[in-house]
Amino acid sequence: MKTKTRRILYTLFLIITFTIGASFICPATAKEETEKKDTRPERGMSVAFEYPGVVISTGDDATVDLIVKNKGRCDESISFTIVSSPKGWETKIKTYSFGISGVYVPEDDEKTVQFNAKPAKDTKPGTYHFKVKARSADGKLSASPALRITLTEKEKEKGEIELTTSYPVLQGPNDAKFEFSLDVKNKIDKDALFNLTATAPKGWQTNFKPPYEDKYISSLRLKDNESKSLNVEVTPDRFCEAGDYLIPVTISAGEVKAEAELTVIITGIYKIESGTATGILSLTTEKGKAGTISIYVKNTGSASAANIEFLSVKPENWEVGFDPETISTIEPGDLKQIELSITPAAEALVGDYAVGVTAKGEKGFDNLEFRVTVKASAAWGWIGIGIIMLVIIGLFGLFVSFGRR
Amino acid sequence: MTGIRAIIRKELADHFSSYRFIILFALIAMVSLITTYMVGMGLKEELSGLAKPKFVFLMLFTSTGPLFSLVQFVAFFGPLIGLILGFDAINRERSSGTLSKLASQPIYRDAIINGKFLSGVITITIMLLSILLVVSGLGLTLIGVVPGVEEVWRMIIYLVISIFYIALWLGISILFSILFRGVATSALATLAMWIFFSFFVSMGASVVANAMVPLNQATQRDPERLMKHLKVQRMVSLISPMQLYNDSTAIIVDPTRKTTRSLVLMGPLERLSSARFERPLMLSQSIYVVIPHLISLIAITFICFGVSYAVFMKQEIRSI
Repeated sequence: MKTKTRRILYTLFLIITFTIGASFICPATAKEETEKKDTRPERGMSVAFEYPGVVISTGDDATVDLIVKNKGRCDESISFTIVSSPKGWETKIKTYSFGISGVYVPEDDEKTVQFNAKPAKDTKPGTYHFKVKARSADGKLSASPALRITLTEKEKEKGEIELTTSYPVLQGPNDAKFEFSLDVKNKIDKDALFNLTATAPKGWQTNFKPPYEDKYISSLRLKDNESKSLNVEVTPDRFCEAGDYLIPVTISAGEVKAEAELTVIITGIYKIESGTATGILSLTTEKGKAGTISIYVKNTGSASAANIEFLSVKPENWEVGFDPETISTIEPGDLKQIELSITPAAEALVGDYAVGVTAKGEKGFDNLEFRVTVKASAAWGWIGIGIIMLVIIGLFGLFVSFGRR
Repeated sequence: MTGIRAIIRKELADHFSSYRFIILFALIAMVSLITTYMVGMGLKEELSGLAKPKFVFLMLFTSTGPLFSLVQFVAFFGPLIGLILGFDAINRERSSGTLSKLASQPIYRDAIINGKFLSGVITITIMLLSILLVVSGLGLTLIGVVPGVEEVWRMIIYLVISIFYIALWLGISILFSILFRGVATSALATLAMWIFFSFFVSMGASVVANAMVPLNQATQRDPERLMKHLKVQRMVSLISPMQLYNDSTAIIVDPTRKTTRSLVLMGPLERLSSARFERPLMLSQSIYVVIPHLISLIAITFICFGVSYAVFMKQEIRSI
């Protein structure tokens, strides 16, 4: 009796707590939604520059983000007009790829377009004002954000050499030649003679060449603000290991210098060679009997050869076996020995056959061709002589038993 | 030993003075010479302007020419020499009553049969050797190629095989002349034997092969079946000593032939592989290929003579 009342009380308590809790949460969320709906106006927008004031130096151009935000409950299509821009400036509104004159902003959304202003070459330093007018399609909404660009005199650096390269990393095998193309621009405000130096790993060769000309240079004369391109020819060490090699190139004129880092990735040469120790590529065997010969596989490349397997081109029903069947790796310059066994078919004709053997690595392969002479079994010869001897002995037996009558 | 020698001498004298031998020899020599002449002329025409292939000299014996090659001729008509030399060896002596007279002389009885067989073998050897030499000489003048050492060896082996082969037929005919009293009977029996082994065995072989592995338009395409058919045919035809002789001499005289089989099943890769280093077989290899044939041929020659020897020794000859 007691436990039953307790259980009822407990369930009652639970129900009450849930209902109270629910009444606290649910009305609150409902209220919030209505409030939000209420606060948003029917229509509304804001258009503003991200940075209303911008400082650039002469020769550069300014690109400032223009943020367009729809604050109302309707989608808006907004058009831009650049109301005022100082003389000599070229202005446009664009996205990443093309110029625009309007943007569509769905309700409760925000779009960013770019305002770009480019001063003419002779524009003097000073402060310039720009004004953009944004209007909704029906003209009821409008905004005109303003931008202030301060153009400052470009600081004349004491001197600068511009050294650029489009392809700073080249890749290839050991026996390739690498040609980097460098662009040098003289920005030190006077004509000068530039020295060219490059530091390469040991055993490597680097040469500077004018493009399309076959001569080597070690210095370069450039007029003020002149730019020239030149080639750096890099010949790697024939036997260097595979890997990345850094080649710093320095161009200097007196105090001023510029550096570029060129990288050569050596992939290594993949080359394997196979043969026999004696150079003999023929073997003699009987039909159905295995003939063996040992061959070697040598890595003559500069990268380690991996997963070398052996393939054979042989007549039907012949067997060609390799021991070991595969070689996991051979380091450059190393040599591995393989036992090759060739078993002609039991019904092969006597004569000479060609059996091709290919040692095939992941990269690189080598072919061998064996001349296999299949001989007839000499066993029959002895059996035959035995039979004929038996017959002759039998004949003599006859002579002895019947003779002299 | 003196007895054998006397008998051999007398027998040889008989052979060489008999019209039978002279007609036979003239016939065979004539056919051989004509054949060689035609083959030689054909070869000369064929090879003019070409680089000399290997073993031209042997082609003199193996090329078929307009009729047949010399090797084929000897295989077919060679047995006739043996048969004609031996079919009346014993029974003529017996019928003319000279055998008992001979046996009453101070010579052993085995000297009679041994002497008769050996004189026959010597006659055969002289015949074949002279034909071979004459043909070679004619060939030399006709095609102007001197045979190499290996070719000479091949010719010698060919000669030996041929002597054994004809001696086998001589043995058969002597056996019949011992078994049958009548000369005509033994002549007919030997002739029947020759016809049987030369014609009927090869015919019978194809009949047996057709019965065991029938070939028709559809199954002819199946190489396995065709090979089986040919195998049966070959096995049956090997009963004939002529087949043994043909196979072995074909390999010995023609170094480019690698097997006695007429048809060989070969995969495309195998053909490619073997065509890469095409070269004639060495003499030892050629011999090894046909060694079973040679052994059988030589063994049955000995056995055949052994049988006639045993039969003759046990026979009663003085009663008549």
